[in-house]
Amino acid sequence: MINTTLFRKELKSNWIMFLIFIGIIAMYSVMIVMMFEPEMSESLQTLADSMPEIFAAFGMSVVGTTLLEFITGYLYGMILVLLPAVFIMLLCGRLVARYVSAGSMAYLLAAPVKRKHIVTSQAVFLLVSLLAMAILVIGLIWAPAEIIFPGELELEGFFRINVGMVGVWIFIGGICFLVSCIFNDSKQVSALNAGIIIYSYLMQMISQVGDKFEALKYATPLTLFNAQGLAASENGAWIGTAVLYGVGIVFMIVGIRVFSKRNLPL
Amino acid sequence: MNVIDISHITKDYGEDRGVFDLTFQVRQGEVLGFLGPNGAGKTTTIRQLMGFIRPDQGSLSIHGRDCFHQAHEIQGTLGYLPGEIAFIDAMKGMEFIRFVASMKKMKGLGRAAELLDMFDLKPAGKIEKMSKGMKQKIGIVCAFMQDPEILILDEPTSGLDPLMQNTFVDLILAEKARGKTILMSSHMFEEVEKTCDRTAIIRAGKLAAVEDIDKLRRNKKKVIEVQFETVEMAEQFADKVPGAAVRGKAVSAAVGRELDTFIKQAGSYTVCDINIRSQSLEEFFMHFYGGNQHD
Repeated sequence: MINTTLFRKELKSNWIMFLIFIGIIAMYSVMIVMMFEPEMSESLQTLADSMPEIFAAFGMSVVGTTLLEFITGYLYGMILVLLPAVFIMLLCGRLVARYVSAGSMAYLLAAPVKRKHIVTSQAVFLLVSLLAMAILVIGLIWAPAEIIFPGELELEGFFRINVGMVGVWIFIGGICFLVSCIFNDSKQVSALNAGIIIYSYLMQMISQVGDKFEALKYATPLTLFNAQGLAASENGAWIGTAVLYGVGIVFMIVGIRVFSKRNLPL
Repeated sequence: MNVIDISHITKDYGEDRGVFDLTFQVRQGEVLGFLGPNGAGKTTTIRQLMGFIRPDQGSLSIHGRDCFHQAHEIQGTLGYLPGEIAFIDAMKGMEFIRFVASMKKMKGLGRAAELLDMFDLKPAGKIEKMSKGMKQKIGIVCAFMQDPEILILDEPTSGLDPLMQNTFVDLILAEKARGKTILMSSHMFEEVEKTCDRTAIIRAGKLAAVEDIDKLRRNKKKVIEVQFETVEMAEQFADKVPGAAVRGKAVSAAVGRELDTFIKQAGSYTVCDINIRSQSLEEFFMHFYGGNQHD
């Protein structure tokens, strides 16, 4: 299934980028957790009530009184979706399209390895990267939370939200990987993937501002990740999460199939 | 026995680009020169042999295996040198060679050390900083290090200086002596002349001919331009030479086996300067097959 030589090469080429993203996410996570103060959240709620549209646009409509509600609003609304999305977009471009665009794919395909196995190996690398990122992110939120506020974080709800978060990542990964497998020019791939991510996020932002645009939530896949719903273990939120995982994986498989069969300008 | 079999392939990119109903074979143990001007469809053919693209029509096989669907089975005994060398950036030369060896499932680096020595290459630095010639040498090392039975080389000497071109010719001749089957593309006749047994000549995507190299060599001419002292001399001389063109005091003509006559006739006038060059592939086609390249 996977080619160990190629997998090792990708590890070597991408670990710095991975660390940079983990570093930024860690900084935000620790900061947000540290900002939590049961008393202060009341004054923040007052602030949120005074300009509800702006807070809502960034997915922070519920400031929350518990630590879980607090980080759900401040981390899982934007930072833990958008930052990883940028990472995923860059990684997907590097895993397939860049080799085709530069022509070095010729060297990978001149090896006695099936094309399908080369590209499957890249998809597995993407999934492994996302899982590694998820484990680190969970740790980077959980550890400071336990140190600063022992026993405050409701762990089951926290775990459920993270299951949803990985679902969004895999979904975005599926789209970006498919695009990377279809097109020959890596600039085209970056532009298209960035466009898809920006569109999805803008639609979500606008849909959260007020009732007038609420219907726009059906125009973005990010709605399928409902952190509050997952914290409360609502059925609808679980279905959304399942759809994210399913569609993401299907897109990756389609990408692998398309790439295995198409003409490559090498 | 045919090792590489290209049968009636068509790959149409529109605007007369691509290859059209192309058929030729490469036999076991021979070196076949795949000759054609730039843009004639050489690389398009090689991409299909490598399984990067599929023909619209026709079929290609190596050792009886389909070049697209069974590419991974073919690659085990095949060395490939791309026409445009594109490496993985940020890798060092030696690192890339090791990477390719590992992708090819080789144990160790095979003949890499011997080849590096032969081409006087020290691939310590980063590839992106290397000259075109150095990159080409790394490509050659990667193609030959596995000691493959079949070699597909797309314009192998491009970027190499004359000394290294000769080293490359020696390498090809040595591999031929060891029974390797080699397909080598080029847009220069001289390059294939020294190494190949036969040539397949392609023009505008269509096969012009498959010829023994000796026959081509016999028909090959040199373009000789002679500068005389006066215009009258030039005109008088031109009258004696069929197909000669006069431009002022200079007379130019394509000269083959009648070289001796040509020189002696020119010698009866005052010669100021002489310039000899090989025919370009285009000129060669015109003389060998008649017609022009666009027919």
